[in-house]
Amino acid sequence: MKELNIPALARVEGDGGITVTLDGKKVKSVTLDVHEGPRLIEQLVKGMKPEDDVNVVPRICAICTLSHKFAAIRGMEKALAITPPEKAVLTRELMMLGENIESNSLHTMLLALPDFLGYPSAVAMLNDYTDDVKRALKLKKFGNHIMEVTSGRIVHGENPVIGGFGKYPSKKALEEIKTKSHEMLPDAARVVELFASLEIPTYADVESDKVFMSVDAPKKKFHLYGDEILISNGKDFPADDYKKYTNERIVTHSFAKRSKYNDKTFMVGANARMINMGKRLDGRAADLFKEHFDKRWFRNPLFNNLAQAIEIVWAMESLPEACDRVASMDDPPIEQPSRKTGSGTGAVEAPRGVLYHHYELKDGLVDVADIITPTAQNLDDIELHMKLVAERMLAEGKKDDEVRLGLEMIARAYDPCISCATHLVTLKRL
Amino acid sequence: MHKLRHAPGDPEEALRSRLESVAGPGPVYVLGLGYADKADDGAGVLLAETLRKPFPEFSFSEHDGVEGTVLDISEREGAATVFFVDAAELGEAPGTVLVVPGDMIDDREITTHRVAVALMAAILERTGKKSAVICIQPGTIRFRAEVSGPVSSAVETLSRVLTRIMRERN
Repeated sequence: MKELNIPALARVEGDGGITVTLDGKKVKSVTLDVHEGPRLIEQLVKGMKPEDDVNVVPRICAICTLSHKFAAIRGMEKALAITPPEKAVLTRELMMLGENIESNSLHTMLLALPDFLGYPSAVAMLNDYTDDVKRALKLKKFGNHIMEVTSGRIVHGENPVIGGFGKYPSKKALEEIKTKSHEMLPDAARVVELFASLEIPTYADVESDKVFMSVDAPKKKFHLYGDEILISNGKDFPADDYKKYTNERIVTHSFAKRSKYNDKTFMVGANARMINMGKRLDGRAADLFKEHFDKRWFRNPLFNNLAQAIEIVWAMESLPEACDRVASMDDPPIEQPSRKTGSGTGAVEAPRGVLYHHYELKDGLVDVADIITPTAQNLDDIELHMKLVAERMLAEGKKDDEVRLGLEMIARAYDPCISCATHLVTLKRL
Repeated sequence: MHKLRHAPGDPEEALRSRLESVAGPGPVYVLGLGYADKADDGAGVLLAETLRKPFPEFSFSEHDGVEGTVLDISEREGAATVFFVDAAELGEAPGTVLVVPGDMIDDREITTHRVAVALMAAILERTGKKSAVICIQPGTIRFRAEVSGPVSSAVETLSRVLTRIMRERN
């Protein structure tokens, strides 16, 4: 028995590694080992007031902080029977665009791209790709700026609250975002151009009957939240039924829970959003989608990078109208709850995929909290895909280092957020 | 490398001399890194917030956005120096200060949560700016704990030294 180890997976969030166990030339198993300790957030918020919960749960992650905030608020508003004002809905859309630009630009350009160009890191890329590295940082900065304007801070902003916003962005700030979005559209398009020019390795193409899940955004638009979940097999389900379709379970080698749909792995993320909602895009993003989308996107998770790049263009193009609409409305008061007991599920698209926050409230306090992160849903699929690819590469006589790099690229393509995934473990004392 | 705690003679003067030796010409910027909710881990942020009052145009913290701040500085005309300030496990007594010049920064790890300081230093270097990391050995990084005495003292010392340097240069 031999093991191929990648003890610390670089350029992802959190502490994880990959272990490939070989029996002769046969791959016995491939595991993505999550080393991050459990954080037990769901237990921590039990007994809290809803308004306190939505401040605590985003601490799960500092990069998808607004996705966690938004999902928690959506779940709580349903539980409390609150319909948020239209201006709040639009401002939340705006903040999600900012987070998407920030996260996708960082992942594509600084975490994933170095592998394809043959560099060990973005630092090493700087000499030959100075403008592109700086472009990535500018895009990230702009995304951070939108997050700050809408939520109040770059990280863990507290303006979004249950029932609305504590403070809405000023017209001046919105006008500046609108102007900047026009200026930065070519930068976003350059990210697509770069990824579209890459030769995506065919070793990662795997035929399977796995499905792709994403939210079904309201009004048949492409967006980052919804009350229904789309499956690439043509089915859909209400977000409230998420448990039936994600089927969480525990594995021994990881502090993160796992998910399967109909006993098969599935994928969430930008790739899934494009597969399920790409036809709803318009403008330049639609052109880029039509130009680059093909059947390989179903087989090869490395296309998740290109999908994220197209999303940056979509988000950039969406900003002017989003800013105009928010600016055109008067600030509404925060909507108050009409009940204290109830349940609700908030589903949003974090940069890495569908994020569920489910709450059951009793007499105004959290009785049950359940959070399922995109990385936890993707982990089974990452492992299965890596196993199939490792088998193929070893059968083709690839060297150990080539196999290691191939598997790392696949894991990174899913843009895993390991810290997010680890709070989901259940500890059993015997 | 320079360790304040073990410097011969007047440690404050030795630190000033060390910072001057790694700085290039032009103004000095301070960019404090770290997590202020975790006691000494937020030493860099604490120092930056202290210096922000007298030097609002030259002192920034993680809360202002690291990449954005560095990009803005890199696009300014002329030479300058950026001191990144961060808590770092040095294996020394709490409050020990170590100054690492930009070209010796070995932090190349980029994650979704942070962009490597080495990348920031390289970008600054390309536009004629110098950088260095001022590392402070933490005593405790317990969540919501108070900043420890030795680290608080190191931040006060650094504040005095940097105030003198920035008054002269900026």
